[in-house]
Amino acid sequence: MSIKATLFPIFMYAILAPLPLVSGEYYTHVLNISFYYVVMAASWNLIAGYTGQFSLAHHAFAAMGGYTSALLVIHYKIPILLGIPCGGILAGAFGYFLGTLCLRMRAIYLGLSTWAFSESFRITLSMSYKLTRGDLGLSTPRLLETAKAFPYYYIFLLLAIVCLCIMYKIVHSRIGYYMRSIRDDEEAALTMGVDTVKWKRFVFVTSSLFAGIAGAFHAHYIGLLSPVSVDFNEMAILLIMVITGGLRTFAGPIIGAISIEILSELLREYGEIRMVLFALMVIVIMRVNRDGIVGIGRTVLPRIRYSTTY
Amino acid sequence: MDSLLLSQYLIAGLVIGIIYALMAIGITFIYSIMKMINWSMGEFYMMGSYLQYFLVVYILGPHLWFVGIPISMAVIFFVGLYIQRFLLKPMFVGEMERKDEYATVITIAMMVFFRNLAVVLAGPNQFAPPDYASPTYIGPLPVSGNRFVALVGTLLILGLFYLVVRNTWVGRALRGSAQNRVGIQTAGVNVLRVDQIAFGIGVSLAAAAGALLAPIFLVWPENGAVATMKGFEIIVIGGLGSIPGSLVAGLLLGLVESMGSVLISPSFKDVYGFGLVLFLLAIRPTGLFGERQRVA
Repeated sequence: MSIKATLFPIFMYAILAPLPLVSGEYYTHVLNISFYYVVMAASWNLIAGYTGQFSLAHHAFAAMGGYTSALLVIHYKIPILLGIPCGGILAGAFGYFLGTLCLRMRAIYLGLSTWAFSESFRITLSMSYKLTRGDLGLSTPRLLETAKAFPYYYIFLLLAIVCLCIMYKIVHSRIGYYMRSIRDDEEAALTMGVDTVKWKRFVFVTSSLFAGIAGAFHAHYIGLLSPVSVDFNEMAILLIMVITGGLRTFAGPIIGAISIEILSELLREYGEIRMVLFALMVIVIMRVNRDGIVGIGRTVLPRIRYSTTY
Repeated sequence: MDSLLLSQYLIAGLVIGIIYALMAIGITFIYSIMKMINWSMGEFYMMGSYLQYFLVVYILGPHLWFVGIPISMAVIFFVGLYIQRFLLKPMFVGEMERKDEYATVITIAMMVFFRNLAVVLAGPNQFAPPDYASPTYIGPLPVSGNRFVALVGTLLILGLFYLVVRNTWVGRALRGSAQNRVGIQTAGVNVLRVDQIAFGIGVSLAAAAGALLAPIFLVWPENGAVATMKGFEIIVIGGLGSIPGSLVAGLLLGLVESMGSVLISPSFKDVYGFGLVLFLLAIRPTGLFGERQRVA
């Protein structure tokens, strides 16, 4: 890793660190949530965008991480910082299971089975009342003593930057090429000697690990977990974020998650119209420019540069 | 267990099963022709139930509820035609890569769109249309009038659907394009037009289910979610693209749910369906009537 590549994340952290001083308490909270969504969206992009496995169970892995960590902390009194990786590992293990189940499936069956997985997980959560308190919701211990958003900002910023660095390394390594080759043509990839089984499983495990860890951090920040977080709407929000930013691009999910989260807070007074608008935006993006904001940037920026130089 | 009570639950399970099957046939019909899953099917169900409620309560009056059902079906049919034309037809025009990804994203976006539009327009409240009929008897067994009406309505609609697909020119074109999209074009059929009609018919079946079930499961923005869940369970059990499969699986699901709730516990009602799905996937991955999937 070159010095530039090492310094860039630290540089980003330093630039973003003073932001809560200007944003105020409430928008600091919004930023925390949007960093959570950055990790979720980017890890879903890893599996759906780069590997082409259009999984619809990503939100379930986040809830799995959250519930695992919270229940371990509550019942076995383990430290929260140990509980969070445990949540991530369990989500990763289920990712391995789901990935193995979906190895032979093509797009439509994959979507249906991952959807069925998340729905049965949601029903199990609300049914196993004694353990998870069902629809009443489980109140989780907070990571820090305080409920103020300010100190959590640094945790979530660190989480987002570390996760993004790891994902960047994965995508820009040999594994990234394997993933893209599986997406573009699985048979051809197999012929060229890519171990498709191994790498598909790897991507399922990695992305659900990220989702589990992010979900656990989120649970210990919000202080409440409920089966609503496994509702399909949650997956739809992730999808809206990734498509708006740009599927299959690295910057897309980051831009999409932050802008959609902040936009939906700014427009909060308009209620459900926000979601109508976001859905319309996704439809328009899919019809006009399928690479989202990043794609628009890629086509518009060179033209501006062209027109200014000549 | 009283045999009368047991047979009552049996009837209830069969009735609800055949109505679930209506929904599933819509999904599988669209799949067999366009080779895509319509994730927003539940929202067409929802729109059907809203239309029916609106018609019955404000325009037709409670006695003319049976006029409302064909009207809401027809309206949703045309809505489906235009949605297909503007949003899904581009899938087949030109060289589009990754068609299923496009279809999934568009239909999930449609789901979010219609759900929230319903909340914006009519609020998040539940509405209950007036009852269609008073309780009746099948032989010695008492049956809720609404369920009985829904059963008769479903059977009529399915019969009509069967006749159209079996005997008319359009039906032949539909079956032909389900078998071979390229071959049917050499016979002079405009496949893009057939897609449009198939999508319209599929979503209007969902709307019919919504309109028929409106007094039983009520009308609210997310009432399609449960219907979609049942529909997808059924097509996985019955096999994607098989209409008889959907019927049989629908009946099976209705029976399992109703028997499970009476024999084991009613609070796990939604789990039995998934149990059945997992069991069948383990012994027969393509579903009961599904053809083996061709690789590449």
